[in-house]
Amino acid sequence: MTEAATPDLKSRVQELIDTMINPAVAGHGGFVELLDVQDNRVYLTMGGGCQGCGAADVTLKAGIERLIKEEIPEVVEVLDTTDHSQGTNPYYTAGKS
Amino acid sequence: MGGSARLLLLLPTRTYRTEDFIDAAHTLGVDLVCASEKPSTLEALAPDSLLTLDFADPDAAASSVAGWSKERPLAAVVGVDDVTAAAAAAIAARLGLRASAPSAVAAARDKFQMRQCLAAAGLRVPRFRRIALGENPVLAARGVEFPCVLKPLSLSASRGVIRANTTEQFVVAFKRITALLARDDVTVSGDAARYLLAEEYVPGLEVALEGLLIDGRLHVLALFDKPDPLEGPFFEETIYITPSRLPEVVQQAIRTTTAAACAALGLTEGPIHAELRVNDDGPWVLEIAARSIGGLCSRTLRFGTGMTLEEIILRHALGWPIDTLERQRPAAGVMMIPIPRGGTLKAVQGVEDAKATAHVEDVVISVHVGQEVVPLPEGWQYLGFIFARAAAPADVEDALRIAHSRLKFRIA
Repeated sequence: MTEAATPDLKSRVQELIDTMINPAVAGHGGFVELLDVQDNRVYLTMGGGCQGCGAADVTLKAGIERLIKEEIPEVVEVLDTTDHSQGTNPYYTAGKS
Repeated sequence: MGGSARLLLLLPTRTYRTEDFIDAAHTLGVDLVCASEKPSTLEALAPDSLLTLDFADPDAAASSVAGWSKERPLAAVVGVDDVTAAAAAAIAARLGLRASAPSAVAAARDKFQMRQCLAAAGLRVPRFRRIALGENPVLAARGVEFPCVLKPLSLSASRGVIRANTTEQFVVAFKRITALLARDDVTVSGDAARYLLAEEYVPGLEVALEGLLIDGRLHVLALFDKPDPLEGPFFEETIYITPSRLPEVVQQAIRTTTAAACAALGLTEGPIHAELRVNDDGPWVLEIAARSIGGLCSRTLRFGTGMTLEEIILRHALGWPIDTLERQRPAAGVMMIPIPRGGTLKAVQGVEDAKATAHVEDVVISVHVGQEVVPLPEGWQYLGFIFARAAAPADVEDALRIAHSRLKFRIA
């Protein structure tokens, strides 16, 4: 059984996304949308330049998750629910070196 | 065991390998730091976990990390491709971390240096010659025997590799490689920007060996057959299948030759990916890269109770125990979906049908609609990857071919 986040926790995550994360990822045409917080896990989607981007996992795990967990220590994990195969304008695309 | 161990992953912004390495780091519970050659939009907000490094200058990258890590000690550094392997080796040498020597990794990165090392060690190598891009190709062609293969010194995945059977074809290939190396999307420097390699064409079957070096000893993780003929004029890699169907005596010769080649280059630690040709003379090393297999191909490999190749690589770099290097028994394979012609990808159809093919585990389309696609020898991408697993290699091969036939790419 999952436990929904308190309004306070979800609103704190949303505020972080609005004030820090989205202004930063907008630099690459990207944005992040908060879907939900359950059992202290944050579920989000990545859009714009982030959707399908070859560096999306770096942004998520070394950037967004790190930032959220530092600012809101009760968050245990940030999970990306984006369908990256549907990205039409990713900032970086993968290729051979 | 995890938690406090800080791991630096060198992840170029264009690599296919990001997701699998980050997943492995997450599984191991390490404190992950990611470095790319271009700044992350979040770097200023997360300076403890995001770095920008000049991968093309390993010494500069090592100096940057040495300063950064004074307050944040690193337990391991791992590069995921040819360029970052060199930077990782330099960083590891500076910080006393586990990796092959920078000189060995550099020799593996430069096909001319590699040929010299292998030849000096008495290994079988095709006759080769390095040619300056400024030379007159008509005159340069006089110094080679046909058929030959021209290739850049440092690109990977068959990019820029062209067979020439005549002087006319040699000249066309020479000019094509020169133009390729000048493209904006090609990052080469030093000798790699000034020379190409011309070498004798070696007929035969081609295989790929995936291995892990531990204290100078090669552990073979998988030997892949490449059932599609690779005879030129371009050398597009498509299907990889393991285990190999070659006779055991031939497989043993491949393993022995690869181990000798690693020793000749001075590689001692970490993953290697070797490409060899096999004919009546025995195995010929085409190249050995100080990195793991490229693209998403590592997803064919599972070890022990499900460990990924990336977990093994990270565990090795961290000096953590690895329960087993035994690959799971079923045959497995991947098709790197080739780009049939250049243009803009307009539509992809048949993905669900392809996924429904017996023994197919997954189909990943890695280009997006609207994206420019460029075929070999200039191309730098695959349309995607098909993965299959079955009891026998032949069943895997059939599954990959059937699934591929169900995919339709509209390119205009």
